[in-house]
Amino acid sequence: MNELERMMSAASPRSLPRREMLRRIGIGAGGASMAGLLAACGVEGESAKPAPQGEDPLSTAKIAGELNFANWPAYIDKAKGGSPTLEQFEKATDISVQYKEVINDNLSFYATIREPLASGQPVQWDLIVVTDWLIAKMADLGYLEELDHSKLPNFEKNAGEIYKDPSFDPNNAHSVPWQAGITGIAYNPELTGREITKTEDLFDPAFEGKVGMMTEMRDTMNLVILSNGVDPEKATLDDARAAQEKLLKQREDGILRQYYGNDYVQPLAQGDLALCMAWSGDVLGKTLGSDSKVDFVVPEEGGLLFTDCMAIPQDAEHPVDALEMMNFVYQTDVAAQMTSWINYISPVPAAKPILADAKDSYTRQVANSPLVFPSKDMESRLHSYRNLDPEEEEEWNDLFNEVIEG
Amino acid sequence: MALETENPSRPAGPAAPPAGVSGRRKNRRALAPYLLSLPGIAWLVAFFAAPLGFMFLFTFYDGTIDIGYNFTSDWPQTYVDAFTTYDTQIIRSVIYALIVTVATLLISFPMMYWIATKGGRRKNLFVLLLLLPFFTPFLIRTLAWQLVLSDQGIFLGTLKDIGLLSADFKLLASPLAVISGMTYNFLPFMALPLYVALEKLDPSLLDAAADLYSSKREAFFKVTLPLTLPGVFAGSLLTFIPSIGDFIDAEILGNPNTTMIGSIIRRQLLVNQDYPTGAALSFLLIAGILVAVFLYARALGTEELTG
Repeated sequence: MNELERMMSAASPRSLPRREMLRRIGIGAGGASMAGLLAACGVEGESAKPAPQGEDPLSTAKIAGELNFANWPAYIDKAKGGSPTLEQFEKATDISVQYKEVINDNLSFYATIREPLASGQPVQWDLIVVTDWLIAKMADLGYLEELDHSKLPNFEKNAGEIYKDPSFDPNNAHSVPWQAGITGIAYNPELTGREITKTEDLFDPAFEGKVGMMTEMRDTMNLVILSNGVDPEKATLDDARAAQEKLLKQREDGILRQYYGNDYVQPLAQGDLALCMAWSGDVLGKTLGSDSKVDFVVPEEGGLLFTDCMAIPQDAEHPVDALEMMNFVYQTDVAAQMTSWINYISPVPAAKPILADAKDSYTRQVANSPLVFPSKDMESRLHSYRNLDPEEEEEWNDLFNEVIEG
Repeated sequence: MALETENPSRPAGPAAPPAGVSGRRKNRRALAPYLLSLPGIAWLVAFFAAPLGFMFLFTFYDGTIDIGYNFTSDWPQTYVDAFTTYDTQIIRSVIYALIVTVATLLISFPMMYWIATKGGRRKNLFVLLLLLPFFTPFLIRTLAWQLVLSDQGIFLGTLKDIGLLSADFKLLASPLAVISGMTYNFLPFMALPLYVALEKLDPSLLDAAADLYSSKREAFFKVTLPLTLPGVFAGSLLTFIPSIGDFIDAEILGNPNTTMIGSIIRRQLLVNQDYPTGAALSFLLIAGILVAVFLYARALGTEELTG
């Protein structure tokens, strides 16, 4: 069991009973027969038996030829104004994809779909990509469709072992990974004037007004907790308070410029930020094989490892199309094609040899980057996030909101 | 049959029209204003009063969207908590909005005075030129300012390259940037009412003042200014009220040290989904603005002018 595996299994152990209970409530309310109920619990393919009453559209769902896909910016390969992966998908399946880069941070996006989900209305997306902890939370609340794994043979065949049956989503019942990544620090050596090696540098008064942090509570709090020498997974409320104080001081002293979602990339590129918290792939995409000014480091105190996963919101209109997409991106050559562009950690290990055999040196560099295919040494420097129960989450959110609300 | 039985109580005479018809016509005439305003009233009820009412109801509840909302008898505490938690941002918003109102007034009064009195045939063209940038959406304009004012951008970058500014000078993420951005964005709301007031000003009144040995200065303070006060009043309201609740400028050009109450309300409703707190803050803001507007109208003596 390697380090990465340990981390994956340590993340957020979720209680099945709760989910089971929610499902039963659903069953009671529906008042349908057993077969219909089983079908109602998940997305079934064409082969599934139709529900006797025919009242549940999902049980008879077929490929609709349409897919509304919400993702983060710069999170899919691009070329000539389109995405080769999406184009190949449309060609292979005849499904037309509405791909929108609408997710800037998890909570802001979740807020846009939470209300319809809570009231049982379908949301406009068939496929969303959100971070592991939000997958656990949404699955717990019954906001995600259960996946029909008979429709995902490529995932079974090609996904790395550590991406199967993760603790935040046992048996991948509701999600399969899109990409994993590292939360660390990006900096512009021209503006910092020195090499940045540790999280502590984000609090250096020398960089007054030039430091960016993240609106994602989990990223910011856990990274600062790490820099205080505490293992985030064992962090107490007092450790969170200590982190909050550090952040408040950073803000009040004017060291902080702003809190960012995925939109930190632009100010970093144009020199408004000298250094900031960053996600590995965003920065690598600009640095590998180019003479870009910006560098990415995993801080000495340690970096954080996250997994962003694909999931289908409850009552999505085109769930089978979404399953097709999930399966499609788990083909080794498609995974390699995406990784060569987005530079995050691919859940398909077999993508590495494909990239390593590439003709151009840039792609070979991607294959050999320890940040894209983490080496043992790199894995030992990556930590998992603190798993928060709902009460703790509220306490931590309150602490963090005080910092970012000013 | 019915008419016949009523007839004895009516004044006799061949010219008297049947009572029912006349009554209906009279009724219809009395109803006309209400019928005419019905679409407007319906619209206001559906899209203003009802949502506002729901928002108000939310302030009597506590909870979150995940655990559900419950009525609480301790609802005044929601208001107290909302105010004590966010008093810094409320006060900051009031100060920023006041500065913006005064700044837009000082900038647009001379400009609109010039256009209204010296603009001649090109008056409308000048007003159009003033409005032209505002054909672009608010958000786009503000994002453009973020680019223009960036630390190494075309403006600051150039000044730094020629040595007029120190290398670590910055405008963004400061109160100055937020207030400047708001002043720019709300300028037309002040300028247009001022223009209307100045344009209506009868030049012969100024001639009369001159005939009565008034200096130009006196004429301005005793004739022009009092007669354009309704414009100042309208412009101030149109600037102050939206700018106090603005969050786009503060979020794009500022940082957590410049957070305004609009941002907090937006976050409470859209990110944290703490509806009770967000709603309570909204109503505190509405109440505060109403009081401020009332005091302002009293101070300016514009009540009779605005009806």
